[in-house]
Amino acid sequence: MDAVLQCTGLRRAFGELKAVDDVSFEVGAGETYGLLGPNGAGKTTAISMVAGLLATDGGEILVAGEVMTPRASAAKRHVGLVPQELAIYPDLTARENLDFFARLYGMDKGGRANRIDRVLEVIGLADRAGDRAGEYSGGMKRRLNIGIGLLHEPRLLILDEPTVGVDPQSRNSILASVEDLATDGISVLYTTHYMEEAERLCDRIGVIDRGRLVAEGTRRELVSRIGEQDVVRMKVVGDASAAAAACESVEGVGSSDAEGDEVVCLMDAAAGRLPALLAAVGTSGASVAGVQVREPDLEDVFLHLTGNALRD
Amino acid sequence: MFAAALTILRKDAKLRLRDRSVWVFAFVVPLALTYVFSLVFTGQDEFRFTAGVVDLDGGPVAEGFTDGVVPALVEEGLAEVTAFGDEVAARRAIEEEEIGAAWVIPEGFSEQIDAGEGGELTVLVNPDRSLTGQVALGVADGFATRIDRAGLAVAVVIAAAGEVDGDGAGAGAGGGAGAGAGGEADADAGADADAGAGAGAGDEADADAGADADAAAGAGAGADGGEHLGDLDPAILAEVAQRAAEAGPLISVDELAAADRQLDGTTYLAAGMAVFFLFFTVTFGVTGYLEERQQGTLPRLLAAPIGISAVHLGKALGAFALGLVSMTVLAVASATVLDATWGPVGGVAVLVVAAVIAALGVMALVGSFANTAEQAGNLQSVVALVLGLAGGVFFPMGAGLLGQLALVSPHGWFLRGLGDLAGDPAWTSALPAAGALLVFGLVTAVPGLLRMQRGVR
Repeated sequence: MDAVLQCTGLRRAFGELKAVDDVSFEVGAGETYGLLGPNGAGKTTAISMVAGLLATDGGEILVAGEVMTPRASAAKRHVGLVPQELAIYPDLTARENLDFFARLYGMDKGGRANRIDRVLEVIGLADRAGDRAGEYSGGMKRRLNIGIGLLHEPRLLILDEPTVGVDPQSRNSILASVEDLATDGISVLYTTHYMEEAERLCDRIGVIDRGRLVAEGTRRELVSRIGEQDVVRMKVVGDASAAAAACESVEGVGSSDAEGDEVVCLMDAAAGRLPALLAAVGTSGASVAGVQVREPDLEDVFLHLTGNALRD
Repeated sequence: MFAAALTILRKDAKLRLRDRSVWVFAFVVPLALTYVFSLVFTGQDEFRFTAGVVDLDGGPVAEGFTDGVVPALVEEGLAEVTAFGDEVAARRAIEEEEIGAAWVIPEGFSEQIDAGEGGELTVLVNPDRSLTGQVALGVADGFATRIDRAGLAVAVVIAAAGEVDGDGAGAGAGGGAGAGAGGEADADAGADADAGAGAGAGDEADADAGADADAAAGAGAGADGGEHLGDLDPAILAEVAQRAAEAGPLISVDELAAADRQLDGTTYLAAGMAVFFLFFTVTFGVTGYLEERQQGTLPRLLAAPIGISAVHLGKALGAFALGLVSMTVLAVASATVLDATWGPVGGVAVLVVAAVIAALGVMALVGSFANTAEQAGNLQSVVALVLGLAGGVFFPMGAGLLGQLALVSPHGWFLRGLGDLAGDPAWTSALPAAGALLVFGLVTAVPGLLRMQRGVR
């Protein structure tokens, strides 16, 4: 794989807190790589270092072969950043916003105008280009936010949870835009805590928790870590933790965790062992209000690897 | 880096042009306040008084006063003088506040001087208008002194209007008067008329009436028991009186010492308001930086291949340009509309540039203690207000302790610099104040920038 981004042994601490601890991963040309983890896992710190916003305490970042640091202009030219918060000027029009950032990236006048027109078309704002961004809907602002990141045709586009706080329609639009980027050959580093987004968009996924990369691979590779086990999710009335502990004694159960008023068990051959599972819940003093059995997904992978739910 | 900084400056300028608050702080409010204040204080920095003269003598010495001294005062624009037929009419005019003081030349005044007996020039004053009384007394003293230098003697007697003539002690004009005809004149009564009490804009004008204490005392001595001068030719007497009247201005505003050089009221207010609001105007540079962070655009700026320094430079240039334009517009507008006289362009330009740098430095340091634009705005407002008050932007601090206090403020140095230019129009006379302003700017900007950069990391 021809890596556009190579991160090796990244470390960054804030006081006693190790926000990123020995994280290594690569993103290939045209690949969409997802950093999946709950809030506070270290995703934003990691991409802040990759974007050159934050100095590392250790490790190395190479973008298109250039070393990335906060002062590395050459490396920064290869990176487009779409921050989690809207990073646009509401009192400027879409065209003025794009023009400002194009100038910062040193684009010449002729190329700048053409590229701005092209980006406005891509993000679907060509007919509203002269309106102030503050007058746009949330989805339009999000699209402009992404457009600015794409403006200078970066080798690597970093998207930091771009769908947070976005309505479903705009979210779909953003996800479709990211899928299009992949077909255009742009490498994407995508952070999210939405399992569905990672499953839909990412060629490979790095699971990050408490600053450490706990697993990495394609969706299939990650799910296979759980093995051939099924996921049994039971809604219980009573003490879910006690019920989860009781379920661990049932034959074939690999793990059993409480999530709110639910108990989630990973187990072999769930269909034949459900009665025993329900009985175990009953011995804990709780009762079962509903049961769901399905194949595992990334959410289950994260739970399996960390003992925590993605949305904790 | 410079190109990127200019790009940021252009963007900020565009945003500021669309942000009406900056117009209000930078231009509208200071100009409006200057206009309002100038209406309130118009004319209070120029001292003029009204007086009366009663010539009961009609002799050559009296004419030296009425035809020489009094017209000179009128021509100088210092006084409006009305002639009265008798002392009663003059007293009534004072009591009715038509005039502030009156000179009464008694009958036989010229003859008494001719005879070497010493004459008595009475000054009637309104105790409620002490400044006018002081000046009127000074004028009389000055005339008496010059007669005395010619070997004659005149005593000046002060009396409050409504009191018995000759019983002028404690008349309220600032000194006890000599008592009685031929007695010693109060030597100090007119020597130090402090015009500052009435100067609305705080001008501490030293109205020097030309009185000389020793000479005045000598006049009294001569009148009491000095050598008898014998009869003089009336023509010589008239010539002496004329010379006394023409010897020079009897009243003048001193060339003030450098520390006390003052601007006229309107200019002081215009300059004070301009520099006061300058400290609010440049905060847009610092709060603009925090706004970038707050609205999420700072990461995007820092991710661009331009460096943190370009961002700082762009913000500083924007604030500098805005401050400069604001000061320039206010100077030109106040000069054009309100007749403010800031001084020679070169010197004023030096001061304005230095003041903008000082404002940038101070506000950058203050802003570096804030995490949000709102916090910064609050902190900066407090500091701008305190420094403005200390610097005397609303009222002059004088030359005493408050005057020294003003020098801990950039505002005070700016106004002092303009005052220096008023005293000496050479642009170099603004350099001491400009230097102090630059020191303010550098001493505060360096730690401010360092703190900001650390905050970015």
